[in-house]
Amino acid sequence: MTIAAEQEMPRSKRRSSLIRSPQFSSLVILIVLLAVFGIADANFLSPLNISNMMAFLPELGIIALGMTLLLTAGEFDLSVGAVFGLAPVVVMLLVQNGGFDIGIALLAGLLLCIAIGAVNGLIVTKIGISSFLVTLSMLLVVRGAALYITQGFPLKSWDQPGFFVTLLAGSFNIGTFRFYTSLWWFISLSLLAIYVLHYAKLGNWISAIGSNRNAAVARGVPADAVKIWLFILTSVLAGLAGMISAFRISAASPVAGTGYELEVIAMVVVGGTALTGGRGTILGTIVGALMLRSIRNGIVLIGVPGLAYNIFVGVIILAMLILHALLQKNAARS
Amino acid sequence: MEVLRLQNLQKSFGSVRALKNASFALNEGEVVALLGDNGAGKSTLIKAISGVFSVDRGDIYVRGQKVSIRSTRDAMDLGIETIHQDTSLAPDLSIARNLFLGREPVNLKWLGVFAPLDLAKLRDAAAALLKRVGISKKLDADALVSTLSGGERQSIAISRAMQFAAKVIILDEPTNNLGVEETHGVLRFVKEVRSAGHSVLLITHNIHHVFQVADRIIVMRRGEIVAEQTVADTDLLTVESIITGADMSALLKETRAK
Ligand SMILES: Nc1ncnc2c1ncn2[C@@H]1O[C@H](COP(=O)(O)OP(=O)(O)OP(=O)(O)O)[C@@H](O)[C@H]1O
Ligand SMILES: [Mg+2]
Repeated sequence: MTIAAEQEMPRSKRRSSLIRSPQFSSLVILIVLLAVFGIADANFLSPLNISNMMAFLPELGIIALGMTLLLTAGEFDLSVGAVFGLAPVVVMLLVQNGGFDIGIALLAGLLLCIAIGAVNGLIVTKIGISSFLVTLSMLLVVRGAALYITQGFPLKSWDQPGFFVTLLAGSFNIGTFRFYTSLWWFISLSLLAIYVLHYAKLGNWISAIGSNRNAAVARGVPADAVKIWLFILTSVLAGLAGMISAFRISAASPVAGTGYELEVIAMVVVGGTALTGGRGTILGTIVGALMLRSIRNGIVLIGVPGLAYNIFVGVIILAMLILHALLQKNAARS
Repeated sequence: MEVLRLQNLQKSFGSVRALKNASFALNEGEVVALLGDNGAGKSTLIKAISGVFSVDRGDIYVRGQKVSIRSTRDAMDLGIETIHQDTSLAPDLSIARNLFLGREPVNLKWLGVFAPLDLAKLRDAAAALLKRVGISKKLDADALVSTLSGGERQSIAISRAMQFAAKVIILDEPTNNLGVEETHGVLRFVKEVRSAGHSVLLITHNIHHVFQVADRIIVMRRGEIVAEQTVADTDLLTVESIITGADMSALLKETRAK
């Protein structure tokens, strides 16, 4: 009967919708970018440079995973860059000046991040202030705290290797490539995020909340609790990324992570996640993270003057967003 | 047998008294139509029953037991399914995911909210359901709700309430924006639900529909229940006059006499 035809249709439909999907167009552009940079400067694809990019990638990428989930639920967090700075400052101060064990100090840092995320989430959901305003204020509070407790100076350098340092920022060589353990963190967390957002019950709730909060609530979805946990998650991931970065360079600075919030949001939306909520893609975010990382790196390599390179980054991000918007319009029309 | 009883419900929004002492009961296997002009408080009443917000005062009884409905989950667990007038579906989710939102079929249940969705079951159940409701156009269960027409969305929301054989199904203006065929589908569904022994609270502005499916009529005006009648004992004009507050049948007699 018509059964065969019915089963055939969704499959071909799915393929065409994959090609039109935002993460796919982002991927194409990423490949084009990599090719352009690779041709323009042979060093771009050298093991050393790739190793370099892979060392930076996880630090912003890990935050971007949390931000993707948060944006999909219809909220965002501007305090991540500040948390990225504060967490390692607190942890290292506790060890260096307080004489605490590193394990205890890390636990304290974790609790601090949870508290920051919880405060963000509670104010946004229970008092009903937009996450833009709440997390912007939190950015100032957290950054201010980091500056105050350090008196504005970077801490003295970290000279205590150990289990946690290896766990977060160890490195190993594969052939001529040098990889940091942070890459494994990024890969594992990415897989987990893909699972949660696209395959788990929670992901269904997250998308529904961002798409139509009232509809989700009417179906018994605990929207506020989900959002609060996502704020906590994002904060914790920002702190984790901060620790990874600080351990990698063996130093913590109160101004580390300045401006990261916008870079992370750029990664997420360039990947195809909607700023307005409801539609999120972790694969897109990974592509977006790779793209912004390689743009920053490639632009310097091909000799764009350092001071001019934000112009290029900005223009490329804008171009990506325009492309997504056009694709979206096209899809709606067809 | 009585399934639902409301006793002196009161609700104010600032200075607006949206509900003043609303009381009524709903019996098993009964279709009750809740009528009233715009702003009469109908949606407010059913939002209180379905746990969207809590009332300022008053009690709700389900099967004789006093209950406290603090959340939509509480209402669903008590067997009360509601299709709201303004919010029902998440446009960025597929039809199938919307149908099971909040009650997703999962594998490995012990994982809680992290449990993986049973995608095969989700799609099959959704397709079966769509077929059962007889939605005129063939809809793909994987299609995003944002690609559907208003009427199609309404049909999806209704099929969702159907699937969780609830004791009480509340429909807030379910035939709004629907075409002829879909409207008949909804009315047929209401009758089906009644013959299966469930109760329906139907809010509508279409009095003809009321006379087609309802057993009893409740009329609200300015937050109060002003009349309660069985359909067999009344007629269209009387009901219309109660809703507006004007004595239309008397008016009509007058004009006829002239
Ligand atoms: N969330 C709210 N905040 C403030 N006032 C509200 C709110 N919801 C309803 N109201 C007010 O309460 C009154 C009753 O509204 P309600 O939505 O219950 O009317 P209704 O009978 O459903 O009308 P309609 O037939 O137009 O849907 C109206 O005056 C309305 O403005
Ligand atoms: Mg209403």
